[in-house]
Amino acid sequence: MNRKTWIAVMAVASMLALGLADAATAAERIIKIAGFGAKSGVVRSFGVNAEAVLRAATDDINNSGGVRLGDGSIGKFQVDFFDTRCNAEEGISIVRRLASADYLIAVGPTCSNVAEPVFGILQAKVGDSSDTGLQFPIFTDGAIKGGLAKISEWSFRNVPSEDAMYKALFVWLAEKHPDAKTVFGGVEEDFAHSRFTWYSVMKERSVQAKFEVVGEAKWLLNDTNFTTQVREMKKANADIVSISSHPFTTCGVLKEMARQRVKPRVALVGLTSSSSMETLNGCAAQAEGIIIPTSFAPTNAKAQRVAELTAKYGGSADLHSTAAWENVEIIRDVIVAEKVMAKPETVQQDRRRMRDGLAKLKSTAGLMGTIARTEDREAVKPFVYATAKEGAWVVLYDPAKASALRTTGETPALAFLPQR
Amino acid sequence: MDFYIGLLQIFGIHTLLGLSAYLLILTGQVSMAQAGFFAIGAYMAGICTAMWGWHIVPALALGGLLSGVLALLIGFPALRVKGMMLVIATLAFSEVVRLFFFNFNYTVLRDGIPIGPIGAEGFRRIRYFPENGWTTIEVSLFMGLIVLLVGGALWWADRSRLGAVVRAVGEDELAAQSVGINLTTIKVAAMTLGGVIAGIGGGLYAHMTTHVEHLNFGILLATFAIAYPILGGMGSVFGTLAAVVFVQGFLVEGLRFLGDWRNLLFGLLIMLAMNVRIKQLGDVRLRNLLRGLFGLRRRSHAGA
Repeated sequence: MNRKTWIAVMAVASMLALGLADAATAAERIIKIAGFGAKSGVVRSFGVNAEAVLRAATDDINNSGGVRLGDGSIGKFQVDFFDTRCNAEEGISIVRRLASADYLIAVGPTCSNVAEPVFGILQAKVGDSSDTGLQFPIFTDGAIKGGLAKISEWSFRNVPSEDAMYKALFVWLAEKHPDAKTVFGGVEEDFAHSRFTWYSVMKERSVQAKFEVVGEAKWLLNDTNFTTQVREMKKANADIVSISSHPFTTCGVLKEMARQRVKPRVALVGLTSSSSMETLNGCAAQAEGIIIPTSFAPTNAKAQRVAELTAKYGGSADLHSTAAWENVEIIRDVIVAEKVMAKPETVQQDRRRMRDGLAKLKSTAGLMGTIARTEDREAVKPFVYATAKEGAWVVLYDPAKASALRTTGETPALAFLPQR
Repeated sequence: MDFYIGLLQIFGIHTLLGLSAYLLILTGQVSMAQAGFFAIGAYMAGICTAMWGWHIVPALALGGLLSGVLALLIGFPALRVKGMMLVIATLAFSEVVRLFFFNFNYTVLRDGIPIGPIGAEGFRRIRYFPENGWTTIEVSLFMGLIVLLVGGALWWADRSRLGAVVRAVGEDELAAQSVGINLTTIKVAAMTLGGVIAGIGGGLYAHMTTHVEHLNFGILLATFAIAYPILGGMGSVFGTLAAVVFVQGFLVEGLRFLGDWRNLLFGLLIMLAMNVRIKQLGDVRLRNLLRGLFGLRRRSHAGA
């Protein structure tokens, strides 16, 4: 082989090698998704748990082969998680950063007071050229305050409908305890979610279930003394006490109730966000018997597996965090259905495909059953009533299961399942 | 790129907040009321654009004016106290303002949607900029222009006789009074002007975030307002700007990759920065520090 032939052979070999490398790159692409939530401050656990679930879910999909992209190649998820510190400015800054980079979609935030401004900087109506808001899809897993996805057509949520949950819960309590007549409310007045849930959900739904609200006690997120509020509670002597506050003050109130020996005759109802390990870590003994509707409990094999995987990733599976698992699975399905390419030059088109794909969904598969999607990009998720029992959350009642049993003429039984 | 341009908006807003406190600190007053003025400007400007359909400029002007009037009103009683007492009194004012907005409900229907402040749930859809086709760069330029005007005016005033009078009041009230300076006029004027600047900053903040609620205007914001000029040194307005860039650009955004360690470092770096703080960008101590860091010798030594 002379020198010229040798050079020609080497050149062809190099080109082939480069071509094969390109083909390999094309065959497996990176799908960048971002998580963002509070990993600092009093609500730190929300972000820590959300990140653990997000990483567990994406790794699970990556390990089982990845996602089939629009051109037939395989995409693998890459997750970056950003701490918002539950601060609006930081949330905005993060979303601007994500939209400037090549992230396909963001999952988060955990705080409603971050979700509101973040959704506000997105384009309100898709395709409205006069609106210069960001065109970047956000699929929220944690921020639960009612009605937020309405703010922008680029915002989607997979959070439970508290309205549906408490409506069913108070009706169930009324049926189960026909002699119960009165409700006393406790509300963490300066926290948007707690306040909204008491005034717009719990209070209204208890009245509709024919209960009489005999009083309200108010406290603030940073309060540490609840003597006066619990004294009012004691004086009212209501059949049901309904507390709309997060684990930190919920535990304070429950401890003060124990000190003043206040115990509602029929039931103690808590806020969805308190159905987490933080409550049990803070005041398991005092929380014994509290009833909270939740959209996550390890009632089936898949949910149990998610709880186990989350623990391995350093988090805790609860109604907020496990939504991230469902979100990742929904994102995977939309990527396939909408033929997302995940190429650097198709970032904006891919984002639009994701948005349109998410908007089309009428129902999705969830860990507890089928999740219905509404016109205003919210979710209606299956739920159960959990109760604290001997330092663990157990399922007290499953409305869906009970309904199914009723149709077959069987008597619904109370199912107690350990929750990790 | 959009991210970096957007970051300039945060710098601009915090610079206005810091400058509002800078002016007061020059006269020897440490005020925690800036958070309250900032909140008033935010809600007022938001109401003007989102509810009444005003243009952003008169909306910001009204927000600033209202904050200024309230600053004038609290300026007189605040003169009766100084030092820690003034800090407590102005902090109480900020809390009154915050709790007012915590209970403030005023909504109108726009396209069938209620818009306006709803107590603790806050005030959403303050979307003047995106709704009117302003791009991120245009918003940043607009904010930059306001910061330039305010900062430029303060810089100019600082270098004029007026600046000397203000600094004289801050350095030694008795001496200033003995040379015929009217302390009441200077202090109340500084409080009023500080209120106007904070109000304008608040108006811009509401329009940048599109949503405000009472929790945004707590003690932390008031602390940041006075921390910027102190951290940046009191030499000139540029110190405040440098402090804002250091805190918001480096500590908040630059260290984000550190995750949980960021918060720990945040406090430590603030302490460090306070200990090596400079009077102004051209400060001799900064020059010496840089020389020391890069191993350069002083010119005088080199010649010796």
